[in-house]
Amino acid sequence: MTVTSPADPRAIAPSEPMVDALDIAANPPRRALALHRELDAVWRDEPGWRGFFTSVNHGTIGLRFMVTAFVFFAIGGVLAMLIRAQLATQQGAFLDLDLYNQIFTMHGTIMMFLFAIPMLEGLALWLLPKILGARDMAFPRLSALGYWCYFFGGSVIVLSLVFGVAPDDGWFMYTPLSDRTHSPGVNADVWLLGVTFVEISAIAAAIEITVTILRCRAGGMALTRMPLMGWYLLGTAVMMLVGFPPLILGSILLEVQRAFDWPFFEVARGGDPLLWQHLFWLFGHPEVYIIFLPAAGALSTIIPILSRTTILGYGAIVAAVAGLVFLSFGLWVHHMFTVGIPHMALAFFSAASALVAVPTAIQIFAWIGTMWMGQVQFRLPMLYIMGFFATFVMGGLTGVMLAMVPFNWQAHDTHFVVAHLHYVLIGGFVFPMLAAVSYWMPLICGRWRVRGLGEAAFWLILIGFHGTFFLMHLTGLLGMPRRIAIYPANPEWEWLNLISSIFGMVMAAGFALFAFDVVMQWLFGRRSWRNPWRAPTLDWAMPLPAPSYNFASLPGPRHSDATALLPLARGEGLLPGAPRGWRETLVVEPGSGKPDHVAVLAHSTLLPLQTSAAIGSFFAAMLSGFYWLAPVGILLTIWAGWKWGDIMGTDRDHPPAQVAPGLALPLHFQRRNTLARTGTLALLLADGTLYASLMFGVGFLTVVAPNWPAPESGIATLPNLLAALVALGAMALGLVASFRAETTRTTPMGATWAMVGLGTGVLALAALAVLAYGLDDPTRHARDALRGVVLGFAVFHGVVASLLALRSLADHRQGRVSAARVGASPIWQLFQLFWLGTSAASFILILAQEVLT
Amino acid sequence: MLPVPLLAACDGPLSTLEPSGPAARDVAILWWAMLAGSTLITLMVGAMLVLAIRNKGGRASERHWIWGWGLGFTLSVLTVLVGFSLWLGERMLARADDALEVSAHAAQWEWRFIQPGPDGQPVATLDTLYVPAGTSFDVVITSEDVIHSFWVPQLGGKMDAIPGHVNRHRLRADAPGVYEGLCAEFCGIGHNFMRFTVIAYDPALPMPDMSEAMAPFADNQAEMLP
Amino acid sequence: MNWLWRALAGLILWAVLFSAVYGLHGAGCALGWRRVPVLFTDWHHLAMWLVWGVGLVLHVILLRTMPQGVPPGRSRWLIVAGAWIGLGSTLFTLFPVIATSTCL
Repeated sequence: MTVTSPADPRAIAPSEPMVDALDIAANPPRRALALHRELDAVWRDEPGWRGFFTSVNHGTIGLRFMVTAFVFFAIGGVLAMLIRAQLATQQGAFLDLDLYNQIFTMHGTIMMFLFAIPMLEGLALWLLPKILGARDMAFPRLSALGYWCYFFGGSVIVLSLVFGVAPDDGWFMYTPLSDRTHSPGVNADVWLLGVTFVEISAIAAAIEITVTILRCRAGGMALTRMPLMGWYLLGTAVMMLVGFPPLILGSILLEVQRAFDWPFFEVARGGDPLLWQHLFWLFGHPEVYIIFLPAAGALSTIIPILSRTTILGYGAIVAAVAGLVFLSFGLWVHHMFTVGIPHMALAFFSAASALVAVPTAIQIFAWIGTMWMGQVQFRLPMLYIMGFFATFVMGGLTGVMLAMVPFNWQAHDTHFVVAHLHYVLIGGFVFPMLAAVSYWMPLICGRWRVRGLGEAAFWLILIGFHGTFFLMHLTGLLGMPRRIAIYPANPEWEWLNLISSIFGMVMAAGFALFAFDVVMQWLFGRRSWRNPWRAPTLDWAMPLPAPSYNFASLPGPRHSDATALLPLARGEGLLPGAPRGWRETLVVEPGSGKPDHVAVLAHSTLLPLQTSAAIGSFFAAMLSGFYWLAPVGILLTIWAGWKWGDIMGTDRDHPPAQVAPGLALPLHFQRRNTLARTGTLALLLADGTLYASLMFGVGFLTVVAPNWPAPESGIATLPNLLAALVALGAMALGLVASFRAETTRTTPMGATWAMVGLGTGVLALAALAVLAYGLDDPTRHARDALRGVVLGFAVFHGVVASLLALRSLADHRQGRVSAARVGASPIWQLFQLFWLGTSAASFILILAQEVLT
Repeated sequence: MLPVPLLAACDGPLSTLEPSGPAARDVAILWWAMLAGSTLITLMVGAMLVLAIRNKGGRASERHWIWGWGLGFTLSVLTVLVGFSLWLGERMLARADDALEVSAHAAQWEWRFIQPGPDGQPVATLDTLYVPAGTSFDVVITSEDVIHSFWVPQLGGKMDAIPGHVNRHRLRADAPGVYEGLCAEFCGIGHNFMRFTVIAYDPALPMPDMSEAMAPFADNQAEMLP
Repeated sequence: MNWLWRALAGLILWAVLFSAVYGLHGAGCALGWRRVPVLFTDWHHLAMWLVWGVGLVLHVILLRTMPQGVPPGRSRWLIVAGAWIGLGSTLFTLFPVIATSTCL
């Protein structure tokens, strides 16, 4: 901790005093090559094709995410070029209208869901363990599962275009246009099911990122001294946990309406199309900041390093990120300023949309101040950062304009908005990502770039971008709406569109050149020397290209920055090598970074691929309309999920791992507060948001939708009340059992309590089945349909909780518990509590509905 | 040099920059003000960036960059702007007074209007709306099938037509004339062609002949009028 | 970790107040609270003013209580900053309750 490196945030006020002078002795040095061989044998992917399918390593999966995202970016870019070709002239008679609708819908869908989000997930997966000082992400199998869900879902979405059945209702899929009546084809189902399948990867990544940042940092790295990238990605991940569930819920509801005629969004039967808009934008606006934050994190990382100084205002930037995370959830209605919401409600969101510019401005000025403080080096990443400034500042300003209600009433749904969103997304995401890729390429491929190509690509992209989109603001103000294919009556728009189209092709050429440059660097670049940017962060404290295990020994208080490259490679850091032949990384206390235990991570396995295929079979059955086949997919998924638990835990107590001289830590089997438990809490945060969104839906329809109150309900019967009480009582008893199963685990009573838990789970599910039988016809009215969903939510969690009870029972039977090992009980307790809590809330809600009407 | 051809390019039948009613004019004023402010801010940030790059190392204070510029400057500008915009927005609301009421019922892909005819009786028309110039009127906007959006850029902002909802939109045309309108929300394959015309007539003169645009009343449109 | 929750308290309070006032506005318009006169105003305005006012008081309390017992340093600084951001956000985003007309 004595080395004060240039980018050490401590150098800037408010300073962080070293309260807990945590010190851990260094391990004796060993031969670096021997250590490398020992670790690489454990951590590298299996050879050949098998390795491609079984890899769970964050380096492999992260890169694969980024490469796949770039392929989808290229496909989305080709679609953009088709749009620009079509709009270049008034008559544009080159695409027919139906195809044009598919193409612009797919352009938006691909860029948002198949490029931007996966790209940032890939960057986070690949970078986080390196910059935080760990060997892998917290849940390697989850990385792989997310990737395969993304790959399969994305492929289905893109292939639909080949078969001419691509979604064609616009990327925000407004109902009623996207309902069965107005979109009878499979097109809308492709969007709803495909995107939901892909979003499994978003939730998976969000859980992993959260847990990795909180618990897989270098020993002694307190949260307050973490690299800013950690804060940005923590904000991103938490936003994903809270932001995606409304979209997932909305997609489920709309798909259920399309498939089974439950009328959530249909006015005649108590639904409301505005509910879709609320759910969509409740996701859709945070989404913009989910995309922006990692990019801003890259800027906050790269700018100080290429300015040879430290970031100005570390604390202020962390506060700004926290502010953005929260405020961005108070903006969604600014996409709905023209739907007829009263002015005062618009005013709240207008003010919040303006206010969110403040934390953004704080970061912009902090970056400029940082450059002022240091000496800016005009390397290639810095050029892209200049591209960011030249673009994003204007995008932010037009964003403030659009936040103003009266102006929004004019500009909404015109090409002004198209220009604005491209300024924000390309300025705020693509330029920083290009900077990030060119910055981290030496770490990815171990090579230095080929001279000249990168600069040429930059200028083509920059000029092409502004040529395409700058005048498009005017096109919009002249009245050109979004999503039209021809404009025969409006010759005044033609010169503007023609200019946009010509420069659009220039920009496309720039991106192609960028891709070419990356390939050239990978193949023909000269070998880069270590830490080529002379950066202080831990991602450069390793040989190039990054080895499969990142660090031969893990960074700690004595080796906390890139200057420790050689000592770490010689094994002087924490937990050197792989003495047990396992993939191990250090787990720390979330706040202080004090080492807590050693996590044994998963090796290469086919299970993630199999699991995503099982989930995919469910989605495939739904998409093809073979609804009777869908339960098979559910059973396959349950089977795959069960297999995940099979290879967790151990049937004996292990001796503690020697992390450093005088520091031995237990393996995670012998700890209660494991990564898995933190991950479950993160998952339940997302799950709770999903439930809250559902409650919002109930409240919204009750208060706002026309055609309420609902018709007389037939559920208020004594058998139904009894069934509900039995279900709740069984869940409560199951909760007791889940705790008793843990406390009595060393006695035979442990297995008995697990059995009791399983029995109560089955009993509660049976009672829920009775309730399902007694429901009103869910196709009759939105209230009844929502009750069906509420019940389905309880059944789903009942199945999960019962499986966890079964897992706990298996733990007891197979000797996977002991005084030191708790097995699956802590996870079961959390799910059981969640099941009971949400079910009780649902019961009270429906009781209130019945009593009050 | 740039603004001159751009200003000349602001004309057009759907241009928001050639306002012909109070709502559109207020927005245009807001736009020009915001454009001027944004240009200044962009130039200022650009200048700061250039200076920061040319400055070869030195002290920078959080107080100056973050609290001064990031928080103080930004928040002051935004407070003024939000206040001004809300005040403008309040002026555009359809308040409960006795403004003239017409109805716009959107369907894939046409606009059905009901407005007072020559003898004071309501007249139904297709894709053409007749209103008196110089008088505020409320368009009562409804939809038959999917979401559409009513927009006459030269008169004012847009308002969505949503199934199950009745939206009220206040507009006024200052002078007699023909104003182009369109559906601004994507509504399917015919979205391109869902245009309409607003004819503002001089109330002092005899009413224009509406027979060309006349259409039978839609089934449920009259009921939707409040 | 405890300090992180303290730093977020103000923002969480903002989120609660923002949702509450937005919900009250929507519910009040739908249920006709504006037609119920209370004192010099109506029930709709009064409900929103009360929530905003009480919320601001709570923000000030957070501003005073959250940093207590945390030693000086970056975590304390973030706690104070978080409390101020929450207060500022509530002031700025909810001031329309006294500035614009409801249900129009």
